[in-house]
Amino acid sequence: MAKEMEINMENTTFKDIEKDIVIETKKNPTIEIKGVKVWYDDFNAIKGIDMDIKPNTVTAFIGPSGCGKSTFLRLFNRMNDYIEGFRMEGKIKINGNNIYKKKVNVEVLRKEIGMVFQKPNPFPKSIFENVAYGLKIQGIKDKIFINERVEKALKQADLWEEVKDNLKKSALTLSGGQQQRLCIARTLAVEPSIILMDEPTSALDPISTAKIEDLIRELKKKYTIIIVTHNMQQASRISDYTAFFYIGDLIEYDKTKTIFTNPAKKRTENYITGRFG
Amino acid sequence: MNNIQKNRLKNQLFKYWGIFCTIIGLVLLVVFIGDILIDGLRRIDWGFITSLPSRKPEKSGIYTALMGSIWILLLTTLIAVPMGVAAGIYLEEYSKKSRLAGLLEINISNLAGVPSIIYGLLGLEVFVRIMNLGASVLAGSLTLSLLILPIIIVATREAIKAVPSSIRDASYALGASKWQTIRHQILPASGGGILTGVILALSRAVGETAPLIVVGALAYVPFVPQNPMDEFSVLPIQIFNWISRPQHGFIENAAAAIIILLLITFVMNGIAVYFRNKWQKKWK
Amino acid sequence: MNTKEQRESLNQSGFEMLTLCKLQLEKAKEALVNHDTDLAEEVMNTEKRVNSLDLKIEKDCEKFLALYNPVAVDLRFIMAVLKMNAELERIADHAYNISKYVVEEDKKIPSHLFKALEFEKMYETIESMLDHITFAYTEKDVKTARKVFKKDKVLDKINIKSFSIIEAEIKKDNTIIQPALVLFSVVKKLERIGDLIKNIAEEIIFYVDAEVLKHKRKK
Repeated sequence: MAKEMEINMENTTFKDIEKDIVIETKKNPTIEIKGVKVWYDDFNAIKGIDMDIKPNTVTAFIGPSGCGKSTFLRLFNRMNDYIEGFRMEGKIKINGNNIYKKKVNVEVLRKEIGMVFQKPNPFPKSIFENVAYGLKIQGIKDKIFINERVEKALKQADLWEEVKDNLKKSALTLSGGQQQRLCIARTLAVEPSIILMDEPTSALDPISTAKIEDLIRELKKKYTIIIVTHNMQQASRISDYTAFFYIGDLIEYDKTKTIFTNPAKKRTENYITGRFG
Repeated sequence: MNNIQKNRLKNQLFKYWGIFCTIIGLVLLVVFIGDILIDGLRRIDWGFITSLPSRKPEKSGIYTALMGSIWILLLTTLIAVPMGVAAGIYLEEYSKKSRLAGLLEINISNLAGVPSIIYGLLGLEVFVRIMNLGASVLAGSLTLSLLILPIIIVATREAIKAVPSSIRDASYALGASKWQTIRHQILPASGGGILTGVILALSRAVGETAPLIVVGALAYVPFVPQNPMDEFSVLPIQIFNWISRPQHGFIENAAAAIIILLLITFVMNGIAVYFRNKWQKKWK
Repeated sequence: MNTKEQRESLNQSGFEMLTLCKLQLEKAKEALVNHDTDLAEEVMNTEKRVNSLDLKIEKDCEKFLALYNPVAVDLRFIMAVLKMNAELERIADHAYNISKYVVEEDKKIPSHLFKALEFEKMYETIESMLDHITFAYTEKDVKTARKVFKKDKVLDKINIKSFSIIEAEIKKDNTIIQPALVLFSVVKKLERIGDLIKNIAEEIIFYVDAEVLKHKRKK
């Protein structure tokens, strides 16, 4: 039974209700953004963005506060849908399918696209239950399967050795860095293909930050990662591509090495050299 | 006197004023409880609790009133709690934040402050007469349910509001539906708070007198209710009845009954505090 | 100091080094042509100042790299200043050695030798090259920087002929062997100074335009 379910997971096409459109993401999905604009009531938060994100890369979104990068990040897993007054134009296509079509099953989408938040937010439950939650809500009951997945996810998140004897302990007893790795494990347990990270290390100390950056380097072999960061050195250390946003516009998007040695736009250069922002 | 000294003086004055107010409150409470205990403690024995009321104070007991209170408590719980909690969840989680919703919120808060006798009058007209339930336990429970419903709704909403949105975000981001998030994350997390609110609301219901009198709870009930349609009495009414009698023995009975009522109230509040503390520890 | 102030300070130091080394070279040339031992001594004493400025610039660059994490244009600026500094130090070194000849050598170099080797022309070419890179540095003007490549060819041309010219002059009159050899040495130094100035121009172009000209054949 466990093996069967494993195979179904690998295909990553989740069929729920017939009417809903299923977004086939598969591993190494292509992500295309076309003419995307966002409004909150009358405020035009994102003015028009086109870009392609390459699979198995780490793409960093940088830019001054309030420039729209977090809003843009949340478009990929449709987390903005819960915000009052949110309105969106344009298309975001994953493997050719527009995820903003009315009939798309959002819950299924979010199993393919995981998210890690700025402040670690483990559930007030045990470590095991935290990681298993994503599987539980899919209706998976096979205990052996769940145990295997939990262990695998914790190992991938580089947390297994530290917690393997204490899985029933409350997640809130872990340190900040451990909690964030737990949140990453929680996301990995459902085996998404894309992982979104919104300033994942800004609340952590330098050692925890370094551990998570190493983790990201490992993860990009299997996943496509998009990370919003305020830390310029972090962006330059771990990303392959960097996108610079400024007041709702995408100013420049290129290989990280190029952005940090010889960016094309003056505004980009002014931002990364600290002349403003 | 310069500013620093003035500030220090103000500090001291406020501190002592605060202590004084607290002591007044405590002293009054101690006096009240002490007085009651002095008057009624001797009267309490097993016989008192299990005897039916009678014209002779020595033979009178609180049995029927106590049973009536328990019936009312159970029935009110069964009616008010599921409805109140569900309404609270709906209003907090599902309804859109529109002007209508805002209006609704204000009105519910207002309802919590309406004098309880008004509920009694409403209950009398709707439950006793129109629905023809008579002066029954059911009618009394329905009336009290209406009374405590706004309290439960507000408590539920507050408890749910206290659950950080980061938990919601995390749950949605993993692909959970709204209901799954409520069932697996929001309710367990706010459970303690909801429970506290529910218990406090119920302990208020236990002590209500006026609405039940209006609905028709009797002062002299020589039997224990057997089904929801039976007539009934409750402890507060029994106390009220005994105090009105001239014989000294009944005053003693009343004091004893008050002690029992206080005991019930304290125990219920104690349970509420216990759960609240346990719940708060979870979030540390 | 914030990043902007730190950058400005380094910029100033770079300019100071440029000016100082140019002046050293000028004085050394004057001392050589007029056999002015006093002037030569002055140059040799000023070498201490050059060395200490060199050290200061290196230290400031190191500090800037460590503390301010420069990227893009700022990073290229630091890299350019560091390398430019090393080259200028070598130019000043040549000026020092030229002055040393003047002090150690009693005989004045006869003026017909200077004429034969087109010494004035060589020196004027170098002077204009130094002016170009100073302008290019302060104005961030890449076009001006590029002018030195053509000018350097003038130096190369003169240099190629220098060996046979000196040989001929010595054959004519072998009492002037010592001063002739000194002058020959100085000419070689001037040629090397020309190369150093070319390197500086490459660094300025890298800093301003991010174009790498190292090891490329230039038009």
